[in-house]
Amino acid sequence: MGFTIAEKILARAAGLDSVRAGEEIKAKPDFVIAYDFPGYTDVIFKQMKDEFGINKVAEPERFALFIDHMVPAVTPQEEDLHQNTRDWGIANNVPVYERKGIGHQVAAELGYATPGAFAVHFDGHISQLGTFGTLAIGVRRHLLEAFVKEFIQIKVPETTRVNLNGRLRRGVMARDVFHHIVRTLGPASCRFQVLEIGGDAIEHLSIEGRQTINCLAMFTGAITAIMNPDDKALAYARERARIDLEPVFSDPDATYAAVHDIDITELEPIVVVPPSPANTKDLKDYAGTEVHVGYLGSCASGRLEDLRIAAEVLRGKQVKPGFQLHVVPTSQEIMEQASREGVLTDLIAAGAFVTSSSCDYCFGRMGVMSDGQRAVSTGTLNVQGRMGSPDSEIYIVNAAAVAASAIEGRIADPRPYLEG
Amino acid sequence: MALKPLIGRAAWIFDEIDFDVDQIVGVKNIKIKDVDELARVAMASRDPDFAKSVRHGDLLVGNHNFGYGHPHYPPMIAMRKLGISGVIAESFSPGYWRGEIAMGFPQIPCPGILENVGRWDILEVDWERSVVRNVTRALELPFEPLPEADRLMLEAGGLIGYLHQRDEAQEKAQP
Repeated sequence: MGFTIAEKILARAAGLDSVRAGEEIKAKPDFVIAYDFPGYTDVIFKQMKDEFGINKVAEPERFALFIDHMVPAVTPQEEDLHQNTRDWGIANNVPVYERKGIGHQVAAELGYATPGAFAVHFDGHISQLGTFGTLAIGVRRHLLEAFVKEFIQIKVPETTRVNLNGRLRRGVMARDVFHHIVRTLGPASCRFQVLEIGGDAIEHLSIEGRQTINCLAMFTGAITAIMNPDDKALAYARERARIDLEPVFSDPDATYAAVHDIDITELEPIVVVPPSPANTKDLKDYAGTEVHVGYLGSCASGRLEDLRIAAEVLRGKQVKPGFQLHVVPTSQEIMEQASREGVLTDLIAAGAFVTSSSCDYCFGRMGVMSDGQRAVSTGTLNVQGRMGSPDSEIYIVNAAAVAASAIEGRIADPRPYLEG
Repeated sequence: MALKPLIGRAAWIFDEIDFDVDQIVGVKNIKIKDVDELARVAMASRDPDFAKSVRHGDLLVGNHNFGYGHPHYPPMIAMRKLGISGVIAESFSPGYWRGEIAMGFPQIPCPGILENVGRWDILEVDWERSVVRNVTRALELPFEPLPEADRLMLEAGGLIGYLHQRDEAQEKAQP
């Protein structure tokens, strides 16, 4: 029997000829990635030194740090955290990427999404590097292991394969595809597994749409997601790749825990209703619900195709008076391109509040809601209190629907705005 | 070093599937740092007498995919402060699982537990035989053995202890 792409990557990272799901191995991450956040990086830096007597990481080229949360700082404590991170980076000869955008996206732009590589982060949304055939796993506080040991102990995960077939209709986006996967398979369907996504629909999805889908894998219970990189993915990733690796691919006779076929041709826009990422519903059943805030951004969405379609919906129209539309491109590279294309001009003219890239709107540090307010959002998550008051609510929709809802002040289907 | 058996009463049964543990303290309290205060607010919306009735060593019982959502650490910090010694659930969400195992807090995946337990039943976790025993009802259920790294982490009291105990010589020998 053949092997999955995840088994092949982990076998190489463990220095073994082959590994199978269920085996427990010690694997060496090619990349160890983190953003600075209280309780994570500051604690890891301290524990490394105080608990393990390690003053500098070995092989600093394997490490990358991002400053993307609490940007810009609003308290001296936040700036202290960032300065501590910068100092640690200099002392360890580890790059600290700051004000370039959301780390999970910037990591791809900077070549950490090397096809065939194994990467770890504490945050599970790093799974989006799977777009390029990189196995990237969020391990929470276990990330300390990768700072103080060369190898991390890991049980080779089983893989569930999802074949996406068909082609999306206009106004329905990759964002809807992911939530449809959760709706179809369930929020526990891939627990502790790798979600491997393939099928003939992939070639019609942009790289950005694929990043969106892979970013959110955790809400199926998966520890990461991955795609076998096609020419489009390799063209993006190989010229940026930081290390020289041969891409690997699942064998046709690889062993999967389950295989599912999902046709996306008839898919309609979805809304994920608070307070759980498992509450996937048809948008049409919630159309008309009054909303007060719109957030277009995050590591999941906020890329060029999201900004372009929002601009298309909003062009020549106005955000409803009193409605707050926040547009936060996922990276500065994306923002620059959107600016060049005139996309930002259209959004600003329509009344959007456009800001430089930051994670802060997604987790309730900026643009927060008060009691009783409701948001339409392309953020990662809709749990209670995520964007402000515990008595506010988040409805997750695609980028076009955020724009349409901003015009109406109610949850709106974007498709009528995209006709003609 | 072997794990000591856990023996305690089922102090609460969370029968919700995909239970979001943040609900234990409530989202509005999730940023509380003071452990005593966290323990005071824990379960207040479900059972105001919870803190008074729970005893050292008691256990929690959960349904499928326990810990789904965006789990934070304070809820189980509060539970440990109240004396809870572990969680037995039908199954766990991976993010929650990793977080709590790193804290050295026992988590036991035991299919069938929910149908075979009532509140305050006395439960025993036998690590050697990988069974959960309901002493009150005189029945046993097998549980899924933990991955080696997770078991070693619990034995060592959490991630830090585990990393200290890893055999450096053996690791150096690996390619």
